[in-house]
Amino acid sequence: MTRRFGGLIAVNEVSFDVTSGEIFGLIGPNGAGKTTMFNLMTGLTPPSSGNLTYEGRNITGLPPYKIAQMGLARTFQNIRLFGNLSALENVKISQHVHTGSGVWAGVLGLGKSKSEEQEVEHNAFELLELVGMGDKAQDKAKNFSYGDQRRLEIARALALKPKVLLLDEPAAGMNPNEKGALSDFIRMVREKFDLTVILIEHHVPLVMGLCDRIAVLNFGQLIALGNPSSVAHDPAVIEAYLGGDE
Amino acid sequence: MPAGAFYGQDPTKQNELATYFPKETVNDFFNQYGFLIVQMMLQALLGLSTYLPLMAGQLSLASPGFYALGGYIAAVISTKVLPVSGMYPVQYLLLEMLIAGVASAVLAVIVGVPALRLRGIYLALATIAFVEILRVVSLNLEITGGAVGIFGIPQPFQNSLAYALLVLPLLLIVMFFVYRLERSRIGRAFIAIREDELAADAMGINPTYHKVLAFVMGAILAGIVGAISAHFLNTWNARQGTFDASINSLAYVLIGGSRTFVGPVMGGLILTALPEILRDLKDLRLIVNGLLLTIGAIYLPQGLITPELFKRGSGRKAGKK
Ligand SMILES: Nc1ncnc2c1ncn2[C@@H]1O[C@H](COP(=O)(O)OP(=O)(O)O)[C@@H](O)[C@H]1O
Ligand SMILES: [Mg+2]
Repeated sequence: MTRRFGGLIAVNEVSFDVTSGEIFGLIGPNGAGKTTMFNLMTGLTPPSSGNLTYEGRNITGLPPYKIAQMGLARTFQNIRLFGNLSALENVKISQHVHTGSGVWAGVLGLGKSKSEEQEVEHNAFELLELVGMGDKAQDKAKNFSYGDQRRLEIARALALKPKVLLLDEPAAGMNPNEKGALSDFIRMVREKFDLTVILIEHHVPLVMGLCDRIAVLNFGQLIALGNPSSVAHDPAVIEAYLGGDE
Repeated sequence: MPAGAFYGQDPTKQNELATYFPKETVNDFFNQYGFLIVQMMLQALLGLSTYLPLMAGQLSLASPGFYALGGYIAAVISTKVLPVSGMYPVQYLLLEMLIAGVASAVLAVIVGVPALRLRGIYLALATIAFVEILRVVSLNLEITGGAVGIFGIPQPFQNSLAYALLVLPLLLIVMFFVYRLERSRIGRAFIAIREDELAADAMGINPTYHKVLAFVMGAILAGIVGAISAHFLNTWNARQGTFDASINSLAYVLIGGSRTFVGPVMGGLILTALPEILRDLKDLRLIVNGLLLTIGAIYLPQGLITPELFKRGSGRKAGKK
């Protein structure tokens, strides 16, 4: 896929496949085009050219909400929680696609809407427990620490019951303890929810230890693709990182 | 500030108010103030009609347009289609409200789908233009009575206060509706879009659908209120759906508070009553009125009523940290 912003080519003919069930790392120096790649994959940014295929279907150009409905859920590098709402409401909101109450059913509590509402609340609490925020359910999202906000974003994405979870720098702003715990957490949710995980991360040890395969971007170009050890020894990667900002 | 804009809609009723005298009995008080009380509730409903699209983050000033449409529908039906001698049957009024609601919904879909592509202030401007277009059209159509408007709209109730029999239940029902909506799946989708449209989109919520839905809900309510108001005010003309009215209903939401439905209700009630309460100040009235609004806007930027106001009370009871 390719994406240009004016004269800048943020993503330049990058092509890769992600296999169901794997943890796939997307790394590269700042400005390499990783977030743009995520935006292309989730429909937030339309590609300048290229195709996006998911489970054999061409989903290029679909709006974000349709892609989300198909099972791709993401977090944002620059946290985009519903800041004025409670943690609980944040996680309730992304169960939208798995519920069906219309205006009247919801307002009057008719039909299945009542049990549906209870289930939504139950699921939301369960997910908050899972990310260790069960006791903070009623607090406003914008008042949380960086680490908690990132965890809440993951809970919100999981509430979509995705098949693919895209995490954009989930460890950013976390302390070393939290970073360590994050690796185990990502493995755990992958098992528990049978997920494919695509991960953007700067923290090299975390990526190397966690990912099955890694793609390396530099200035919008895919410079390496493979398992962690082969990528780590790839001269182009070493060059990019030594010459870059790390 | 335009909160005084409702003067002059009906000279006879205005005089009724002017004969106010402090030593009245409670009964007389209600008779004297019947017009004002009902007007306050109608304006609270208009505040809610602006609040609904705002729930989904859409700053629409279109309510007076649908209000005008609803009023014309009621005026035409009651004077031309189903003219009745004597008291106008309330069932007919209910039928008018239904037709006004349906017509407003249809128009809202036609207008909303293209207009809601616009954001923020551009949407506000487009909706003002919509109100203005409707006004000019109504000035030039024969069926709406042109510049003169439609007179002698029949009365379904004995006096002004008796309209409360219809308007108060309507206000309570709509408040219940919005209260429940805010706690339901669709309401949560609205609020998610208000908070962060892009994130809501990425969480599987179709922004366009829900924005149009919220806009249509506001339009239906404004149309229904218009149908009642046409009878209540006895005459209907192109001065009903104006830029002034747009600003009024926006003021209800901004001064009352835009983050809970209680805000626009309080805003509508208070801002409609305020010029009346300040009546004794005579000419100073409008200045004091404007001053109070300005002070309110500066010191209560979130409006009078915020969701935290309720949370604080209930949070303490629940013994939260
Ligand atoms: N919406 C946009 N408009 C213009 N330029 C953008 C936009 N989004 C990203 N870019 C540019 O594209 C390049 C890649 O950005 P990004 O994908 O965020 O990098 P990364 O996530 O790898 O740090 C950067 O030079 C950035 O400035
Ligand atoms: Mg990035």
